[in-house]
Amino acid sequence: MSRISLAGAAFALALAAQFGFAPQAAMAQQAPKPGELTEAAFTAQTCALCHGTPSQTPPTMPLIYGSNADQLYTTLLDLKANRRPSTIMGRIARGFTDDQLKAVADYLARY
Amino acid sequence: MTHFTRRGLLGAGAAAATLLGMPNIARAAGGRVVIVGGGFGGATAARYLKLFDPSIEVTLVERDATYVTCPFSNYVLGGIRDLNSITHRRDPLRQRWGVRLVRGEARAIDVSRKSLRLADGVALPYDKLVVAPGIELKYEGVPGYSEKAADRVPHAWKAGAQTALLRRQLEAMPDGGVVIVAPPANPFRCPPGPYERVSMIAWYLKNHKPKSKILILDAKDAFSKQGLFQAGWESQYPGLITWLAGKDGGKVEEIDVANMTIKAGFGNEKAAVINLIPPQTAGRIAVDAGLTEANGWAAVDPISFASRKAADVYVIGDASIAGAMPKSGSAANSQAKVVAAHISATLNGKAPPPAVFHNTCYSLVTPDYGISVTGTYRPGPNGVAEVPNSGGVSPAQANADFRKQEALHTEGWYAGIIADALG
Repeated sequence: MSRISLAGAAFALALAAQFGFAPQAAMAQQAPKPGELTEAAFTAQTCALCHGTPSQTPPTMPLIYGSNADQLYTTLLDLKANRRPSTIMGRIARGFTDDQLKAVADYLARY
Repeated sequence: MTHFTRRGLLGAGAAAATLLGMPNIARAAGGRVVIVGGGFGGATAARYLKLFDPSIEVTLVERDATYVTCPFSNYVLGGIRDLNSITHRRDPLRQRWGVRLVRGEARAIDVSRKSLRLADGVALPYDKLVVAPGIELKYEGVPGYSEKAADRVPHAWKAGAQTALLRRQLEAMPDGGVVIVAPPANPFRCPPGPYERVSMIAWYLKNHKPKSKILILDAKDAFSKQGLFQAGWESQYPGLITWLAGKDGGKVEEIDVANMTIKAGFGNEKAAVINLIPPQTAGRIAVDAGLTEANGWAAVDPISFASRKAADVYVIGDASIAGAMPKSGSAANSQAKVVAAHISATLNGKAPPPAVFHNTCYSLVTPDYGISVTGTYRPGPNGVAEVPNSGGVSPAQANADFRKQEALHTEGWYAGIIADALG
């Protein structure tokens, strides 16, 4: 099995094991208070396109909601720098500054 | 049986208030937003408006009872999905989020009175209007083609009956026949779509009619993910697919539907099955309401996707001129979130968060061979622009595990966007 395949197929499981995600069913999509939509909260909504919602994350996609903020941030930085191989997430992470990634990781951890 | 209501769109109180010229009574809860179109753009806008501010009264107007997604319709052609699996109900928007679903066809926008009129005469007053009508096909863009001709030569560029028709034609054609796929010039809905379609038709032919060939008669000289598609075709379907660029005579000049013959720059070609994808404009309501430019698409402010032509009107998805963003379901989903944030903030008297846009589009070369393009975008002085040194397509060199992983993510992406737009 190749390095890529390990990083891909087992990625979701590895993330889940590493970060100890909360059960999906227990989470509802977190609504920011009306008129209090921060940049981090808004940017984090972008992820749902592929990762689905907190209550409906597709089985083939890494679960990002309710993760450990520091570990998710480190993962995103590693993906951005290609220290961690990925199919697509490195390309996506390079579209954001480190500060933006940190803010998103912090926000996703609140689920 | 339908769960939509045709009449009684407004509560009695709201209707009375409108008639008496007291719209503020109806607005007390946070404002009225009407959305035209229940595709990925319109549905996502509805869901996120309610997520960002449940007090906003959101009404979604949609012509069709169910949503057959264009994404994954190529897999129906390839025989790896059925239409049922890409057909979705919008009920969760009402049941979980309190969106009012109105089945009907938007006919006119009265910008000065801030009211949307439907074909059945119903008027829907709004504080903000989101127009997400997708595309209109310009049948007349190809001489000899017409809406009627599409019964014989399907475009299949709106998923549903046309998809089923093209699939039946592929099933009925003889082994050894020629399939012509003719994509239009830019811009059009789903830039990689025709080439993924070719891949899926090739998958079907390779497995069931291996003596058959596919000829792509292209109006263009280059296409989305071209290097990846062509390398994939060479390795997975050697000798099956021929692509003729516009400059090499590929541009379709005329079609003779009765004789199933296309006249292109290089000469005439008869085929067993022809898939002609005509040029397009923004959906009819956007054109009729004067929201579009001479090129047929709607100009918008890249910060908010507010129409350049009408106050308190937003245009998202395929119908809009979105700068560097492609016309895709993912782009529409992303633009819808920006619009929802902008509207909910504006109605609450707050500043909206900085806009960020995203697009991810997967294509399958085979069921186990996926490729992708992705991009993150920000508003810029010349429209929506891609963040430099980010995004892009899958690597040209990758092993089978990598391609397989992206095929798995193709499935994941679909489940994700369905949950994000309709869940």
